Amino acid sequence: MKAAVLREVGKPLQIEDVQVRKPGPSEVLIRTAAAGVCHSDLHFVEGSYPARVPVVLGHESAGIVEAVGDDVRTVKVGDHVITCLSVFCGHCEDCLTGRMSLCSSPEVRQTETPRLSQAGGVMNQFLNLSSFAEQMLIHEHACTAIRKDMPLDRAALIGCGVTTGVGAAIHTSKVRPGETVAVIGCGGVGLSAINGAAIAGAGRIIAIDTSPAKDNISRQFGATDFINAAETDAVKAVMEMTKGGVHHSFEAIGLAKTAEQAFNMLRRGGTANVIGMIPVGQQVSLMGAAFLGEKRIQGSAMGSNRFPVDMPRFIDFYMAGKLKLDEMISRRIKLEDINEAFAEMKTGSIARSVIVFDA
Amino acid sequence: MKAAVMREVGKPLQIEQVQLNKPGPHEVLIRTVAAGVCHSDVHFFEGSYPTQVPAVLGHESAGVVEQVGSEVRTVKVGDHVITCLSVFCGHCDQCLTGHMSLCQSPETRRQPGEEPRITQNGMPMNQFLNLSSFAEQMLVHEHACVAIRKDMPLDRAALIGCGVMTGVGAAIHTSNVRPGETVAVIGCGGVGLSAINGAAIAGAGRIIAIDTSSAKDNISRQFGATDFINAAETDAVKAVMEMTKGGVHHSFEAIGLGKTAEQAFNMLRRGGTANIIGMIPIGQQVTLMGAAFLGEKRIQGSLMGSNRFPVDMPRLVDFYLSGKLKLDEMISRRIKLENVNEAFAEMKTGNIARSVITFDA
Repeated sequence: MKAAVLREVGKPLQIEDVQVRKPGPSEVLIRTAAAGVCHSDLHFVEGSYPARVPVVLGHESAGIVEAVGDDVRTVKVGDHVITCLSVFCGHCEDCLTGRMSLCSSPEVRQTETPRLSQAGGVMNQFLNLSSFAEQMLIHEHACTAIRKDMPLDRAALIGCGVTTGVGAAIHTSKVRPGETVAVIGCGGVGLSAINGAAIAGAGRIIAIDTSPAKDNISRQFGATDFINAAETDAVKAVMEMTKGGVHHSFEAIGLAKTAEQAFNMLRRGGTANVIGMIPVGQQVSLMGAAFLGEKRIQGSAMGSNRFPVDMPRFIDFYMAGKLKLDEMISRRIKLEDINEAFAEMKTGSIARSVIVFDA
Repeated sequence: MKAAVMREVGKPLQIEQVQLNKPGPHEVLIRTVAAGVCHSDVHFFEGSYPTQVPAVLGHESAGVVEQVGSEVRTVKVGDHVITCLSVFCGHCDQCLTGHMSLCQSPETRRQPGEEPRITQNGMPMNQFLNLSSFAEQMLVHEHACVAIRKDMPLDRAALIGCGVMTGVGAAIHTSNVRPGETVAVIGCGGVGLSAINGAAIAGAGRIIAIDTSSAKDNISRQFGATDFINAAETDAVKAVMEMTKGGVHHSFEAIGLGKTAEQAFNMLRRGGTANIIGMIPIGQQVTLMGAAFLGEKRIQGSLMGSNRFPVDMPRLVDFYLSGKLKLDEMISRRIKLENVNEAFAEMKTGNIARSVITFDA
């Protein structure tokens, strides 16, 4: 099968022929229908987070089940599924206390024989998925079946970016009706955090970005206000608009500086959520005395998801018109165009490219 | 009446005569029976946090109601009360959403143009944290005290007024410790010991006390600690990570330093919560590895134990009287108002848990 392979950090991905083995007892073989190109793929391409090479990137996808192992119970051949990198064991402390997205059990991550290979040599799987490929071989607990009237190119986005943003608002920070929200960075994840806050009934939702083009689009996702951080001090502007700070802030870029801003724009008792992947080595520096106001800053990883529960609900939201996905897809591309999508992502102008595979 | 007055940052308090105004409609006049000497008094005394001088310090006290204003409904003359600096208005956004300890409404203070609560020969004297407990009497807003059962000794009740509420509340309210979860507490002064005690009351599993004084090994166990780390000899973060195989669910910083706040964050397991109770001096930064947020770690302030003190303090009194809350073990010395400067000096040595000023009946 064809796959986009990273052979060296900083170099373009190459389309190569890669082999996938037969499913083990708890594994599922999926024919990839669509894969989103996410900013976290770029983090690994650029080397700000480490990945073992050679590797097939991609981790936000939807497809159709082609084969299942003997012990698979949650999906069957022909099911439409969304994949998720939050693969979980189902019996560790995190899984059993409502925090399955924090599961780090090796038993669902390590395999006796590698899932991917190339001419008998090594090919690494990325985040237990590797979606930039015509097929994926994954653990049963890394996908969930969805209703068949859901278009798979839009379903793919729910696989990572949308769940990360919506989940940060509704799970990690638990936004309640009428509370105030600020979101720093209006890429796919930030727009989804805005959308999640709107679904949860937030009052004022302030979108913050350095690109004025995000004014209009953020309002389509539910923002009530927009601050152009290229022209205005965002912290000062939020403090003035809300008379003292927001209940919830979300950092959806991945920079220490904007994480600090998220903390500094809180009201007393407010919660800042760091969604973005801050490059390894960057420090977040906070005024110690600010903790006297019971301010909180916390990480939000993959939207604190319980994805087999959440993703089917998110699809219902999309079908009911509450979750915006059409507006998020800026381009549908072929696997061969993956490097252009990365280049465009760096300009910050587009929300999301989706790779669509031939049926 | 006699009061301990701070006239200048860093200088010893002076015992002076000061006068109290008559209670306004919502105010209560209290005869002070006991007042704890708390580390936060030292913060203001040393100037690491600002306060207006001259001021009567003290903010952790218990006493007996002597007089009430015409509109006071929650206490009456003769009631035994604990005071609290978390004075609340009762109708703002914070008060009405369960966060009364974050209320900042100015209406519980005397308004501009009104006579000050405390004066000296006609000149205003500042009230510290709306209480000023280092004095024979206190004039406070009705919402700055709560009545308690009369079989509770007032010298021990005083400690509940700040340090104990702060520590216990950090564990049971701010961080919401649940049965069987793991806890680490950095700093075993009065607040840290109370955080240990609160975690024990909430049913925590392993409770690891951390201090640089080996004398705290024994005392922390009396409050419920299951383990002790001497941070003068061992890397506390490494030791906690090893003992818990990957970090604790809850950590508490009860000293007030940027460095120990960072340690509290670094000893968390994935999804764990670090609570900053200590008052970190203004200007000190807390610097965290940005990538650590990928593990959904959380760091948050805990102020006055996120208290709802009119609800909490009578419950804490019940815990004491049933033997679950340790207070006797916390009082190292009972002193007179005149000895307050010695108590500050001893506090800085880190040896004793708490001095309590007792007033003559």
